[in-house]
Amino acid sequence: MILDALKLDDRVAIITGAGRGLGRAMAIKFAQAGADIVAASRTLAQLEETAAEVRKTGRKCAIVQTDVTDSIQVNAMAAAAVREFGRIDILVNNAGGGDDSLGKPIEQITDAEWRRGLDTNLSSQFYAARAVIPQMVKQNRGKIINVASGYGLRGGKHNYMYACSKGGVLQLTRSLALTYALNNIQTNCIVPGIFPHNEEMMRFFKGGKFIPIGRPGDDSELGPLAVFLASDASNHINGEFIAIDGGGLAGGVTPTGAIPNLPAESR
Amino acid sequence: MASKEFLDDFSLEGKSALVVGAENVTGRAAAIALAEAGAKLMIASQEPGTDSRLREVAKAVQAAGEKPEIQVQNSAVRADLSATADLAAKRMGRLDILVNALDDPWFGPAEAADDTAFERVIESNLKRVWTSCQEGGRVMLRQGGGVIVNITSVLADRGVPNASLYCAAKAGVLNLTRALALEWARKGIRVNALEAGWIEEAASPVNADEDFKKTLLKYLPSNRLVKPEELGGALLYLVSPAAGFVTGEAIVVDGGLMCRV
Repeated sequence: MILDALKLDDRVAIITGAGRGLGRAMAIKFAQAGADIVAASRTLAQLEETAAEVRKTGRKCAIVQTDVTDSIQVNAMAAAAVREFGRIDILVNNAGGGDDSLGKPIEQITDAEWRRGLDTNLSSQFYAARAVIPQMVKQNRGKIINVASGYGLRGGKHNYMYACSKGGVLQLTRSLALTYALNNIQTNCIVPGIFPHNEEMMRFFKGGKFIPIGRPGDDSELGPLAVFLASDASNHINGEFIAIDGGGLAGGVTPTGAIPNLPAESR
Repeated sequence: MASKEFLDDFSLEGKSALVVGAENVTGRAAAIALAEAGAKLMIASQEPGTDSRLREVAKAVQAAGEKPEIQVQNSAVRADLSATADLAAKRMGRLDILVNALDDPWFGPAEAADDTAFERVIESNLKRVWTSCQEGGRVMLRQGGGVIVNITSVLADRGVPNASLYCAAKAGVLNLTRALALEWARKGIRVNALEAGWIEEAASPVNADEDFKKTLLKYLPSNRLVKPEELGGALLYLVSPAAGFVTGEAIVVDGGLMCRV
């Protein structure tokens, strides 16, 4: 039965960046689907809130304070998952984001900012994949879900570290997918469009009027896609990027709302 | 245990779906997946003389859910496709989901193909999908929304020797999907695609040549062909309420093949 294949009963899922936003939404949805959660992020107080939400569903939640740009801490996160639950079935590489250097002209970006940008959004995902792969190989089963961005496929003005890292995430996805296909480990990538987490972001994105579908995404919409990619319902999907962006990447040849009309003489 | 909230994301309870090209292995798999998720179903053929295959699919669908409506189309030309979309909406009350699984494989050297081959391959693989989207889309526009999934192939993205026309038609379906998705984005219709890798089926050209098959299997990252039922999960995700923000997208089901250099 196909709905049974979507369930995550008794799977163990590590979710990075689980303290808020998309990460928290995914943690709750995974728990609703039946998984136990290892929630990781830098901020303990936020993790506690996520854990409380997860536990309301009746599932277990271990929290591990982790700075994903530090590979020692990332290795410790994977070790904690094995210690707590004995397995790692799913890794969701969700932690990351833009920072103050986003939007700076290239000549003003320091080496340290460049490296920090790549560390936050690309090295972090590499470290976490490297940390969980041996356990997944041992189990002969695993699912890695990387979170990229539309900026991984398209460029942005004054957008260097973020766009380059997210493009790198797509390539990380492909190489992991190929390398571990015969170990029954599937690596895929979610490509989210615009998901404002607060009123300020909602205003910045003008309520989503530039998105073809006419609205931005809601954090709760990411969860089901991640569940699908973590489940047996996607077992032959590997190395794939799935855009959840209200049609954004399908177009881009004209601005949204600018519709070419027939020349007058041929109407 | 998985909760009810979780199942609600993917359930198609109360939805009605039409699968065109249900006699094909991909259409059959789509119909079964939709029925398993609770949808009411009409299955329609793309060719005449397919009654017995459709009845076999209907039996498999019934084992997974309710008994489907059956519609044998004469040749999936406009009159057929229009009547089928209208009939689906009439019999089931609405047309929430349309899956186009039309497919007519063609292989041969380009220099030997005549215009008749061009017309046939483009007509059966692209034009009929266009017409079905149009006719299904009209019903959905009238009722204020719906979801369309076009099943195409990894040959929409890449070329392969001896399949020029087929590749062109399959790529046409992919970009048709994107353009329709944008055009109907604010009218409540989502349009997405599924791209299948090399599928395990009796009629596949893979089975015509043992040496080719051996070489291909070694090359595939998973060392095996795609089972038709493996399209079911991605199809269900795309048509489900959970994918309300997904449109103009294609999900590739190929075991990682498109990652290769």
